[in-house]
Amino acid sequence: MGDADLTYGTSLTIDSIKVIAESVGIASLGDDAAKELADDVSYRLKIIVQDAMKFMHHSKRQKLSITDIDHALKIKNIECQYGFIQPDSLPFRFASGGGRELHFVEEKEIDLSEILSAPPPKIPLDVSVRAHWLSVDGVQPAVPENPPPLSKEAQKLESVDPITKLSKPNSKDSAGKPVCGKAARLKASESVHVKQLATHELSVEQQLYYKEITEACVGSDEGRRAEALQSLACDPGLHEMLPRMCTFISEGVKVNVVQNNLALLIYLMRMVKALLDNQSLYLEKYLHELIPSVSTCIVSRQLCSRPEMDNHWALRDFAARLMAQICKTFNTSTNNLQTRVTRLFAKALQCPSQTNNETGNGPSMVTTMKESEKTPLASLYGAVQGLAELGPEVVKVFILPRVRWLGERVEGALSGIGGADRLAAGNLKHQLLKVLAPVVRQLRQPPDVPDDYKRDYGYLGPSLQQMVSKLRSSPAGGSSGSAVAVVSCTPPLVPQPTPSTTPTSKPAETLATRNVVISASSAPQSPAPSTPPPQKFVIVSQQKPPQTQTSSSAGHIVHSTQPTIVRSQNVQSVVVTSGPAGGPGGAGAAAPQKLVVVGVPPHQAPASTSHTPQHSQAPVSVMAKPMFARSGQASQPTQPPPELDDLSHLA
Amino acid sequence: MGDKSTPLLAVLQLLRKYNLKGTEEILRKEASLGDVEYESLDLPEVEIASILTAHHTESDPYSYEFAYDSLKKFIENSLDIYKHELSTLLYPVFVHMYLLLILYDHTEHAVKFLEKFGPEQEDYYQDDLAKLSIVKSKDQIKGNELAEIYSSNKFEVQLSRDASAQLKRFLQEQKSSTVIINIINNHIQIDVHDGPGRTQAQVRATAGGLLGEATKNENRTKVYYGLLKEPDIQVLPLPVEDEEETEETPDKPKKKKAKKDNIFMKKPKSDPNAPPNDRIPLPELKETDKIEKVKALRAKRVQLGPDCLPSICFYTLLNSGNTAICADICDDSTLLSVGFNNSTIKVWTLTPVRLRGMKSAEKLQDIDREAGDVLVRMMEEKDRDTCRTLYGHSGPVYKVGFDQFKTMLLSCSEDSTIRLWSLQCWTCLVVYRGHVWPVWDVKWSPHGHYFASSGHDRTARLWATDHHQPLRIFAGHLSDVDCVQFHPNSNYIATGSCDRTVRVWDCLTGTQVRIMTGHKSAIFTLAFSVCGRWLVSGGSMGDILVWDISNGGLTAALPPSHTSPIHALAFSRDGTILSSGSLDCNIKLWDFALITDETPSEETGSNTSVPKEEKFLLRSFATKNSPIKSLHFTRRNLLLGVGTYEGSS
Repeated sequence: MGDADLTYGTSLTIDSIKVIAESVGIASLGDDAAKELADDVSYRLKIIVQDAMKFMHHSKRQKLSITDIDHALKIKNIECQYGFIQPDSLPFRFASGGGRELHFVEEKEIDLSEILSAPPPKIPLDVSVRAHWLSVDGVQPAVPENPPPLSKEAQKLESVDPITKLSKPNSKDSAGKPVCGKAARLKASESVHVKQLATHELSVEQQLYYKEITEACVGSDEGRRAEALQSLACDPGLHEMLPRMCTFISEGVKVNVVQNNLALLIYLMRMVKALLDNQSLYLEKYLHELIPSVSTCIVSRQLCSRPEMDNHWALRDFAARLMAQICKTFNTSTNNLQTRVTRLFAKALQCPSQTNNETGNGPSMVTTMKESEKTPLASLYGAVQGLAELGPEVVKVFILPRVRWLGERVEGALSGIGGADRLAAGNLKHQLLKVLAPVVRQLRQPPDVPDDYKRDYGYLGPSLQQMVSKLRSSPAGGSSGSAVAVVSCTPPLVPQPTPSTTPTSKPAETLATRNVVISASSAPQSPAPSTPPPQKFVIVSQQKPPQTQTSSSAGHIVHSTQPTIVRSQNVQSVVVTSGPAGGPGGAGAAAPQKLVVVGVPPHQAPASTSHTPQHSQAPVSVMAKPMFARSGQASQPTQPPPELDDLSHLA
Repeated sequence: MGDKSTPLLAVLQLLRKYNLKGTEEILRKEASLGDVEYESLDLPEVEIASILTAHHTESDPYSYEFAYDSLKKFIENSLDIYKHELSTLLYPVFVHMYLLLILYDHTEHAVKFLEKFGPEQEDYYQDDLAKLSIVKSKDQIKGNELAEIYSSNKFEVQLSRDASAQLKRFLQEQKSSTVIINIINNHIQIDVHDGPGRTQAQVRATAGGLLGEATKNENRTKVYYGLLKEPDIQVLPLPVEDEEETEETPDKPKKKKAKKDNIFMKKPKSDPNAPPNDRIPLPELKETDKIEKVKALRAKRVQLGPDCLPSICFYTLLNSGNTAICADICDDSTLLSVGFNNSTIKVWTLTPVRLRGMKSAEKLQDIDREAGDVLVRMMEEKDRDTCRTLYGHSGPVYKVGFDQFKTMLLSCSEDSTIRLWSLQCWTCLVVYRGHVWPVWDVKWSPHGHYFASSGHDRTARLWATDHHQPLRIFAGHLSDVDCVQFHPNSNYIATGSCDRTVRVWDCLTGTQVRIMTGHKSAIFTLAFSVCGRWLVSGGSMGDILVWDISNGGLTAALPPSHTSPIHALAFSRDGTILSSGSLDCNIKLWDFALITDETPSEETGSNTSVPKEEKFLLRSFATKNSPIKSLHFTRRNLLLGVGTYEGSS
């Protein structure tokens, strides 16, 4: 037993005893006394924990809880420890300073008035019993109540290392199906073992299911589509059909892009979304089919038959979000997915001046210039959107340097005559402003002079300046002092959505055909795949460290600015400032603590918890869209109500 | 008492015993011991011996290490046939050396000793060693549960005759150090058996008890493991049947009468292993109970086997959030009861039939008692529910159990009480007090009327519903008695404990008739096979062992496949399939017919058992993050499982 050495004879340190002694007012405790106490206390603690283990076991749990300790104390005739509640895990924090190390439980100060004024918490649901078939005549049916036949880890392992599948004998444990029929007979007769090809035989039921699902997904009945997507997003055990589904999607995109069938493209993208959301599937093996399809829907020059009328912008937005989700989920150091995707979009944005610098070659320069000049505005829009979804860092590196050239393109198109081009340019301009403003805001210092902007960013400069200053004045972007701190360690604070025109402010009535309008009212009762129930929020708590922090030797506890995730159902976006709300650039001594709760759509939330640079910027891109569509009241009143054909509720 | 004067006093006492006055005088003068100490020379003989012999090594803590090392070398160098048996000596010697070192205040040496030799002890002793390692001073030995068990009981070691002769020779050669001899004399019981030494596998199979192996002598008593002769209700006229069971029936014919139905109807009428029907007074069957019993017998039963596995219906408790502890399903599978952390018990109906309460006393008076449907009439008509809650306990409810006819429910709790509830008026009927500490388990007798309980106070108790005092107290376990189970013929109960032994007790005499070691971890659940001969026990490491009650031997250790404590075991009604449910969210089905069928072949040649063991496990079913709390076979051999959903994390 390797850990045996660890378990024998651990005990509290003398230091801990001294710290505890100090805390109860005994200033100087002798070393001998402390050691004596440490030994005795460790002995007693261990006895209590041993007894508590018995209670844990008899409660048929595998996690020790505080009540177990209480009961163990009770059988020793010791008063229970009152007042301890049990969160999921004890959040022991660690701090060191002044040569001392300290573990502590973080207790936040709670504003009682806030609790009093808050609506009462939800009453927990009562215990209920639900029955399902775990096994029917020895076969485990693939229903949602049962675990998926092949766990996601197993699928992942299989895609990463396919050899394991071959070497592993057909174990009874994982295979829920009895060995019967032909296979069993073969086994019994000890025939020559032929390595089977990886066939994807589908049972009759699976074939039926495939037919039903694909028909429903691209059919005209919206109710059926919702059900089908729901099934794709939730059902376990779809992995056997995944190759077919992915082929269906990629073939469908190929055909419908040519035919400019916007509605069908949207439906196919929603299928991709549903598959991505399915917790039991691991799609990595099929990305080679999915990524081209999705990127086609982002940057294709034409996605619909009437570019001036149809709202293909929403499809581009949606697909861009999908792409970001794919990148975040499947990016590894070996496949370099995000890098490749970024390069793909960046190529579309290649402006002539840059190709000039890069290549420095006459003839090729001419051709690239020609090509990039020809890049349609819609593709540019898609590329910008695709990059924007990947986070502000990407925006800073890839879009910002090209803003001048993009501005020229926009300017040219706006002054031109083509109606469709003007529309596209308007959208592109708006999108650029929205994407760039938060980035620029953090790059530049407050005095926003329109001329500087004009000089730096060209045609788009002045509009950008307006946008940025608006951002700065909005409440969330409050104290600029803290914003600097944020950039360094936490996801940047996300401003409230600014009043602006949505990119889809085009007349919608022409599009109100059966295909495109997806009634928003159908979403609530059936949790559509695009809106999984629990919303995640990132709470970023930060405390501006006092200036004296580094020099203080008393070992002040530095609140780590570590984001924690809470789940909640109803809050969309809350900004809470507790304590003395320091004004912009407030005095550091007061150390105002700021809580910013940012509503994040679930599919992007996981990424925002991590600290990797490209992930931490997620909230910015997140705020771009959903705030407009979902809650009009949460955002500012000047904002126009969501349009009917605004497909942003897909997110 | 100062450690310096203790040996001196012992020497004085010894001198006095042999009447060596001169020497005694001189010693007293030299050590300047007054008369007071002289008066207090009342050390018991054994202690003097141990002090005097230990005194020699006391001055030299290094000798322990040396002595242990030499014992180890001796065992390593001995012949293979003795090696494995002798190696069982190492652990007790090691433990007592550690305790002696502590006793003589050589704490640092004790810790060093533990660190040096602890890791090489058998893995199943590591838990104990970890517990023992917290003892670091003389005073702590006194209060420590484990240390007291070790010092006040003898560790059982089984050696073949030759092996023990070898050991004797070694000990005689070992003149320099008497430590080992002392320990073996004082703390180890060597049980010499004839025949060849056992193999490593054999030794390992039965090792693991807190105090070593069970000796064969303890399991000599005959156990009537056969089933009781069942009165054939359908054929026999009623008077005959009454005749059979009229003797000493408890005074009042209440509804507490119960009858088990796990019967083999084709059993031979005179089973030589069956106890006489009147060995234990059993309750008389009531008319209504008989109807119920007939119903049970008539239920069509699916024949199960390796090719015909049962269907499993799983009941998931949602939103319970770690509060649900135990569950039970009544015999006809219509009711589910769950005991909770928050002292409540909930009873659900699993069929469309709602749960009804009884009418009030005034209304009951109006009912014609002679009416045929009086039982229906006395129930409230309006007051119906799918779930009812029973309040009364003041601590977590660790076990609930329906009686055979689902009129009553037993529960036991951390508040050290057992409660009997009525499922007709939905109130508590009796509170049984007797256990001093939390009660871990309670089980109905298959024939009703009696029930058994076990608890933290290291006892199991037998109760009758109409007595507020236990009828028997079974004491003998060295640690908590974690689970208890009635034999199908109600004459015996089996208990499993933290001391890693399974014991079987005779309800009539109150004595221990079987003690079985082999578990390497605490035992949490027990099940008797339908035929009454086999006992299956599940432990906290996910190990499942099958015991033969007829001789107390280990029949089979099922191949390890569970990874977490097993808290549920159930036999199919025809006894061919064993199902086990564990906290690792898996239900596994085992081919019990094959397991027990193997017994004769294993004795003749053990080489065939290897492939067979792999066939034991028929199938494994995973639940979705829902640890299994209870398993139950319906009369038609449908398997019901109960678990709590613990969220998707």
